[in-house]
Amino acid sequence: MFSPLYLLYGFMVLSFVGMAEYRGWSTDTMNEVRNIPRSIRDNPGAYRSIYSSYHHYTGGK
Amino acid sequence: MSTGTPPLPNPPAKPQVKSLHCPQCGTAITLRSFQQAVTVVCESCHCILDAKDPTLKILQQFQAIIGELPPMIPLGTRGKLRGTDYEVIGFQRRSIESEGVRYDWHEYLLFNPYKGFRYLSEYQGHWNDITVCKDLPIVRSGFVPNANYLGETYRHFQTAQAETGYVIGEFPWQVRVGERATVTDYVRPPRVLSCEQSAGETTWSVGEYRYPQEIWKAFNLKGQPPEPVGVFENQPAPATVSVKQAWLAFLLLTVFLLGLMAFNDMVASKDPVFNGSYRLASGPAKGEASFVTDVFELKGRSSNVEVKTNANVFNSWIYLNYALINQDTGQAWDFGREVSYYSGYDSDGHWTEGSHKDTVIVPSVPPGHYYLRIEPEADARHPEITYTVSVRRGVPVLKFYGYALLALFLPVLYVTFKSISFERARWAESDHPILQTESD
Amino acid sequence: MTRPIANCPNCGAKVVFQWSSSVQTVCTYCKSILVRTDVDLKKVGEVADLPPDSSPIQLNTEGIYHNKAFVVGGRILYEYEQGGWNEWHIVMNDGASAWLSDAQDEYAVSFAVTGQALPAASQVQIEQQYIWNNQSYTVTVITEAHYKGVEGELPFQYWDKTDVTFVDLRSQTGKFGTLDYSDDQPALYVGEFVDFDDLKFKNLRQFEGWS
Repeated sequence: MFSPLYLLYGFMVLSFVGMAEYRGWSTDTMNEVRNIPRSIRDNPGAYRSIYSSYHHYTGGK
Repeated sequence: MSTGTPPLPNPPAKPQVKSLHCPQCGTAITLRSFQQAVTVVCESCHCILDAKDPTLKILQQFQAIIGELPPMIPLGTRGKLRGTDYEVIGFQRRSIESEGVRYDWHEYLLFNPYKGFRYLSEYQGHWNDITVCKDLPIVRSGFVPNANYLGETYRHFQTAQAETGYVIGEFPWQVRVGERATVTDYVRPPRVLSCEQSAGETTWSVGEYRYPQEIWKAFNLKGQPPEPVGVFENQPAPATVSVKQAWLAFLLLTVFLLGLMAFNDMVASKDPVFNGSYRLASGPAKGEASFVTDVFELKGRSSNVEVKTNANVFNSWIYLNYALINQDTGQAWDFGREVSYYSGYDSDGHWTEGSHKDTVIVPSVPPGHYYLRIEPEADARHPEITYTVSVRRGVPVLKFYGYALLALFLPVLYVTFKSISFERARWAESDHPILQTESD
Repeated sequence: MTRPIANCPNCGAKVVFQWSSSVQTVCTYCKSILVRTDVDLKKVGEVADLPPDSSPIQLNTEGIYHNKAFVVGGRILYEYEQGGWNEWHIVMNDGASAWLSDAQDEYAVSFAVTGQALPAASQVQIEQQYIWNNQSYTVTVITEAHYKGVEGELPFQYWDKTDVTFVDLRSQTGKFGTLDYSDDQPALYVGEFVDFDDLKFKNLRQFEGWS
């Protein structure tokens, strides 16, 4: 007989994937910020990005 | 129906357990099998006696080695096997030699006056419940010979010369210490078919594996049974799930997974909401590098947003600080992406590193009006770089399917690996130590 | 079915034949072997005390074989190099005679088979095959046995045999055969092994210490 435990586990894995796709989850590094004022559209430079100057150098080989 | 027979003048006495004395040393000898014994052994002086002879003629006297282990189930012990009571009436230690090493096993002869004889064999803590075959198995030779018994095929495990090293108790056949027989075992776990050949006589018996606790319980023995060592030839595999079933379940789940993937691909909107091309001038940044895109609408329910960057970098990099900003709510997602591509030649030939493309998924973005704030950065000495930014609403994330497949696969891999290593251990002791799988 | 009752010609005791098919019986009092003729009982010999044996079956034990009830009527005892066995004469409830052999508590039921070409004793060898009634039988064991005695009712005359040759044969379908060379003409019996439990015995012998 198929192990009912494994099938249950498999069902849960599939449910998780379905949920992830439905809710639009992602594994990419992301930072949520709030209350960005509308004035940024006119003055993009005023926005302070967390990531500015945060680049990692990859040289050649 | 049975009436009318005249009463017998001397009704036959109930068969009784006989008590005799060893002609060599006088020790009392008990016969438990009611005239069925052919040989009986005196425990004290190790004489094998003719049980059919009223004078108990001595047939052989053997030397018992010091340290000979007494039977784990003492003679005279009664136990219940397959619903019938049996008494242990005989015991033998037999051995085979393989590559200079002697392997001992023990055989217990069990008796019931109505049902006859059975055997228990014990080897390194592994037990087998054995009986003589009524039907003759059919042997097929070949690369791996096998034997067919009662419609089931047993695989050849081992052929060896067995020698009897020690006997006590009584037996319904001739026993001698030092006698040899060729023993061939065929296995089909949990059963084993054993063919014993000696002096032109062939006997087939079939055994079924028993766990030590079962034997201890059946015979009401004290203490703990010895732990089995290694894997025995017909020991059943411990897994409750067969490897075949596990793979079938895995395939079934994979089919469902693929179905889910196809379904998701169909229903995902993959709506291209924005596309822009830009140029980053060469040289150090002059003035404010950041800019904002036009506003675009993200429709539908809360789902992901894919931002694809494509840059024509060559042996250089561009770094983009992205912010996806909701014009109305002020909620934003801040992320940075690098696009770099290098290639060249060295002693191994041509090499490349990196890619012209980058894709990022922003999770769970509610519907609304959005724009991107982009701030590019590049190496101070970079040439001019042109890049495009494409945004799509609601894309399937294939990564999750990969993770799911792995998650489904790992338990099956584990079960398969355990089964293979168990079977490897089983066949390691045989004449065929190559990898064999248990047939279901 | 009338039960012929007569008197033992040797000692005068009452002798009963339970089955009309019985030809021979043993007087329980004086151990004379009595053969039934049309007219009377004739004493043909005497049975020495039977060697003690350990068969759980006794005269008048009852059982069931393939849904037919039977009663144990008599037996022939044999001994050979490795021990002994009994051939119990059993009478089925339809009157047919059969043989229940009991060797070291291994049981088999067989019936006499007539009309087959049977080899002479000298021709038989181990591993040889014969075909009877479309079944192939292979010779497994050739046994020299000594007749040890008789008891009860038998469907033929059988006494005072000395050494008898028996040939055991097996088929691959679980049947076995026996060639009996007790008489000048060989006799063939064909049957199968049976489990003790399947025979559903009643009225078995009691053993001390065993229920």
